Formats: sequence, C-alpha cells, structure tokens
Amino acid sequence: MDILQALLNGFGVAFQPLNLLLVALGCLVGTLIGVLPGIGPISGVALLVPLTFALKMPPESALILLAGIYYGAMYGGSTTSILLNIPGETSSVVTAIDGNKMAKSGRAGPALAIAAWGSFIAGTLSVVGLMTLGPLLAQWAIRFGPAEYFALMVFGFSTLSALAGRNMFKALIATAFGLMLATVGQDPQSGISRYTFGLLQLEDGMDFLIVAIGLFAVSEVLMILEDKAPGAIRAQVGRIYISFKDFTTSITTIIRSSVLGFLIGVLPGAGASIAAFVAYTTEKRILGAKGRFGEGDIRGVAAPESANNAAAGGALIPLLTLGLPGSGTTAIMLGALVSLGVTPGPQMFEQHPNVVWGLIASMYVGNLILLLLNLPLVGLFVRLLQVPSWFLIPAVLAISFIGVYAVNNNPFDLLLMAIFGMLGYLMRKFDFPLAPVLLGLVLGYLMEINLRRALTLSNGNPSGLFVNPISGEVSIIAVSLWVLAALSLFAPAILARFRKQGLGSGDEEM
Amino acid sequence: MADRIVGALILMLAIGYAVVGSRMVGGFLSDPLGPRPFPYLIATLMGLSALWLLARPDPNPSWPKKEFWLSFGLVLVSLVAYAYLIVPLGFIITTTLEMTLLSVLFGARWWQGLGGGLAFTLSIYFLFTQGLGVTLPTGRIFG
Repeated sequence: MDILQALLNGFGVAFQPLNLLLVALGCLVGTLIGVLPGIGPISGVALLVPLTFALKMPPESALILLAGIYYGAMYGGSTTSILLNIPGETSSVVTAIDGNKMAKSGRAGPALAIAAWGSFIAGTLSVVGLMTLGPLLAQWAIRFGPAEYFALMVFGFSTLSALAGRNMFKALIATAFGLMLATVGQDPQSGISRYTFGLLQLEDGMDFLIVAIGLFAVSEVLMILEDKAPGAIRAQVGRIYISFKDFTTSITTIIRSSVLGFLIGVLPGAGASIAAFVAYTTEKRILGAKGRFGEGDIRGVAAPESANNAAAGGALIPLLTLGLPGSGTTAIMLGALVSLGVTPGPQMFEQHPNVVWGLIASMYVGNLILLLLNLPLVGLFVRLLQVPSWFLIPAVLAISFIGVYAVNNNPFDLLLMAIFGMLGYLMRKFDFPLAPVLLGLVLGYLMEINLRRALTLSNGNPSGLFVNPISGEVSIIAVSLWVLAALSLFAPAILARFRKQGLGSGDEEM
Repeated sequence: MADRIVGALILMLAIGYAVVGSRMVGGFLSDPLGPRPFPYLIATLMGLSALWLLARPDPNPSWPKKEFWLSFGLVLVSLVAYAYLIVPLGFIITTTLEMTLLSVLFGARWWQGLGGGLAFTLSIYFLFTQGLGVTLPTGRIFG
C-alpha cells in the first residue's frame, strides 16, 4: 500500500468533526494534566478510557483521544518545571535545571517558547518516523510465530525491568506481580478457574482499568496527602517570545534530541523520562565548554523537551506494530483497544488502516493544536495552579470513582480500587516501579498463550521456544531476542554512568 | 531493614501463589503444558528476586509523620465504606461525603469542603448520567 495514499486517507479520518474535536480535547486535557503536579499521564489516560466506552466511540476516535492526552502531557509538563521549578511530570525533571534558572533571570518567555517549539518540531519528526518505520516493522513482524512472540515479550519485560526505577530486582518483582494478576480468572485453554478464591467477580479476570486507577490515581492522592503540597501558587509568565538567534542556536540540539528521543522511545521500558535525561547529558557532553548547561542555557530546555515528545511518538511503534506496549500509558491504550475489538499487531496496518493512519494524521493536527494552545495560553494554564488542592485532589478522586464504577456497574470494583490504591502507595514508598505491574497484567494473557502454543506445536518439547515448527530450523529472530533480553539486564550499569553526571533519577511513570 | 521485611513478605506471596496453583483441580482436553507451569514460572521469578532483596536491601524509605497515618487510615476506611454505601445511599450522597472528608484532610474548612464537594458531585453526576449515558446508582432510599 502506498504510504502517501494511506496518509491521505488517515487525514480523512482525522478531519472528521468528531475526531477533530477529540484531538483538541485530548491535547487540552493532556496539557492540564501536564501542568498539574501529582496527576500523571497514566492516571489521566486511565480516567478517560471509561468515557470512550460510555460514548461507544469507534476505536480510531478512542485512540486519537488517548494519544492526544499522552503527548499533550509532555507539552504541559515543561511549564511548571520552568516557571516554578516543580516538574509537572517526571519527564520534565531535567527541564527544570536550566529552565528555572532562565526564569529566575527573567528569561521565562524564551524558555517556554523553546519548549513549545522544540516539542512541536520533535512531535512532528516523530510522527514522520512512526509513519515510515511502523509499516516496515509490521512487515517484518508478520512472520512471527508463537515462539517469536514469547521471546519478544521476555525481551520487553527484561528491558522494562532494567530501565524502570532504580532497583532492577524490584522492577522484576513488580513485573511478576502484574503477571500474577493476569493469571486470575478462567484459564484461556483448559477453562478452569485460577486464583479466583471462589469470587464470581474475579471469574473474568482483573480489569486493567481498575488496577490502573487504583495503583496510579488513588495512590497519587495518598502521596499528595503525605506531602501536603502548598495550596495556591503564583508565577510570573511574561511575554512568550523567542528571538531568531535563540532559535538558530537551538535547532541542531532540537533535531539531535528528537532523533535520540525517538529511538529511546521505541525501546520497551525506556520512556520519555529516560529519553529526556539521556538527551540532556548527551547535549551537555557534545557542546561541553561552548554551553552554559546548568546555569540557564536555552539548549538545556530544548534538549529534554524535544526528546520527551519524540519518545512519546516512538513508544507508539511497538504498540501498533507488535502489540507490545513499552510503558504504563501505552499499556492502557492497548487494553482500551482490545476492549474495543482491535488487537494491535503486525496485521493492524492492513486490517485497521483507519485506526493506524487516522491516529498518525491526528498527531500532525494535534502537534499544531498544542503549539497554538501553548504559546498564547500558558498564562491561563498556570492560573489553574491557583485552584486550591483541597478542591482539585478530591475532584480527581470523584472522577476515578465514576471511571471504576462504569466498567462493570459493580461496587466490588471500588473495593478492589481501594486495595490497589493502598498497594500503590506502599510500592511507591518502597521504590517499586508501578508501570511493570500494568504491563504484566495487560500482556500476561498473551505471554502465556504464546508460550503454550509454542510448546503445543513442539508437543511439549522445550526446543519449541527456539525452533520454527514448520521448517524445523532454528528461529534466528527468537534466539536473538533471547540474547537481547539477557543483554538488556546489563543496561542499569550503563544508565548508572549517565546518572553519575550530576542528575537525579529518570523514573518510571511513563 | 524495611526492604528485608518486604522481601520476606514477597517470598511468602510467591510460595503461597505456587502452592495455590499446585492445588488447582479439573481441566481436561488441555495442551501439553496445562494451566500450572506459567504460574510456577512467575512464582520462581518473584521468589528469586525477593531472595535478592533479602540479601541486598535498599536503604530504608523516609517515613511520613505519625499524623499522616491517621489520615491514611481514614482515607482507606472511607474508600471501603464508599464501596459498600454507594448502592444503598446513591452516588450523590456518598461522593459528596467522601469529597468533604478529603477536602478537610487537605486543609479546607468543613463547609468549604461540603460546598465544593456537593457542587462538583452534582455537576459530574448530571454530566455523566444525562450527557454521557453512564449509569450511576441513585440510591435505594430514593427509589
């Protein structure tokens, strides 16, 4: 299929009135979530999924909305980092270093402007990347059998565990816990009930939305309660402008960081936060003495803000072409798509071109909307921070209740939500990453079924995990994925070297 | 130290999970692998990681002040109560009360919390039920 023709059809989908409205809504909600500290994109996406079900949206519209929130939050996160030194999202932690220095010396305007322009350029470049790389990867993955899929998931979980959070073993425990949750309910092949403890409500398994809202949204409320963040904050915004000189000094940084961020985003587990801080340290190293990194260099804002937006686009590649989400947010998108009757995977580009190309086209539109939304309206978003937290936080919780209740109309789910909320709080306290739980839950079923199919084809012989059942030859793809999975467990050591260069953590969340 | 306790609890969870898995009964016409090995695999992964945690624990987390645990407990109890009361009392009453409680915990006066909570609850109730077609319990005492 001709890519240009497909893209044109995609624009046809994106320009339908409903979808235009949804991309604007998604970008707006995403920006709000990005601006508000404490409410992460995972909670935001999870809270809007029930809405897509309730409105019986077609899958492409649902995905357009959810993706809009995802990359919109990347835009919004920079605002509070720069103005208040309070990162709205973990992906904007690095932005605060130079961004807030700039704001303090009266250059908040250029910092905000370069963040918006950097995000726009990066977002657009990453859509081009998604458009060209996606179909290629899909064509390659179409030959995958169960053995390759199982190996792929092992690879996904090992990179995720290696990159999410500070302690790899805690991430592995979180992954295992998510997989455990996935085994609750009827066994996919023999039909017997597993781990339901006689509860009828668990017969259909754990719903990913309830786990996500409990684990992320409710535990966020508890974390904020512990911190007791100050109520209202005031900030000086000034005029949002950028001089031609600022733009030309930053443009190479923006392009370099976009490419880097995009590639990191494609890797499962390495989300926008890691992309942001790898881009920052890379720019710091390349520009070295020529830059004033750490003292308010505009490129110190451009690098992480471009990288985190590009990473959000890159993260959609494994989701759409392999059905393998690399982060908590994309895991929720996968869950939502499956509930709407679309299973992402290599066939998706052919079976559901409307969904894929509609999404890609909507992202072009979305990036433009975000630029228009952010440059003139930053002041308005910042004023939102003056809404007292005693109103805002309980309001978020009230919407969580509706989201959870709407899934099955069953109060039992609210009980589960409370349990997962407490668990999420304790996991955060003990530094366990939360995203692997969600990924384990969403992918556990597919992982088990592919393992069992592979072994059925080989009549129970473990060689079935490495050998193509039809040709009898060793599957190079499966074997290399196993090798890569093993290698990725050394990634924490490499990442630690980056961290040593005077930066904090690049944590989970994404 | 805290990590050691957590590690021990996780190890117990992994063992318990495997034991429950081994006692599953029934199932026929299954594949060569059957319903049990995948859970065993998970339990092994979790158990080994827990052992590592026991051997090499992280430094203790910073614990919140004592007063926090009171509000923490209060929030949890109220969430459980919410789950049991939403059907008999209805969405509007339970959600308003829950929001009031949380607002007070976040430092509002009770009347501020009640006012803000009631206004917000009413608006989302009508937005979701009338505008978006979501069913929310009206409450038995009204029905």
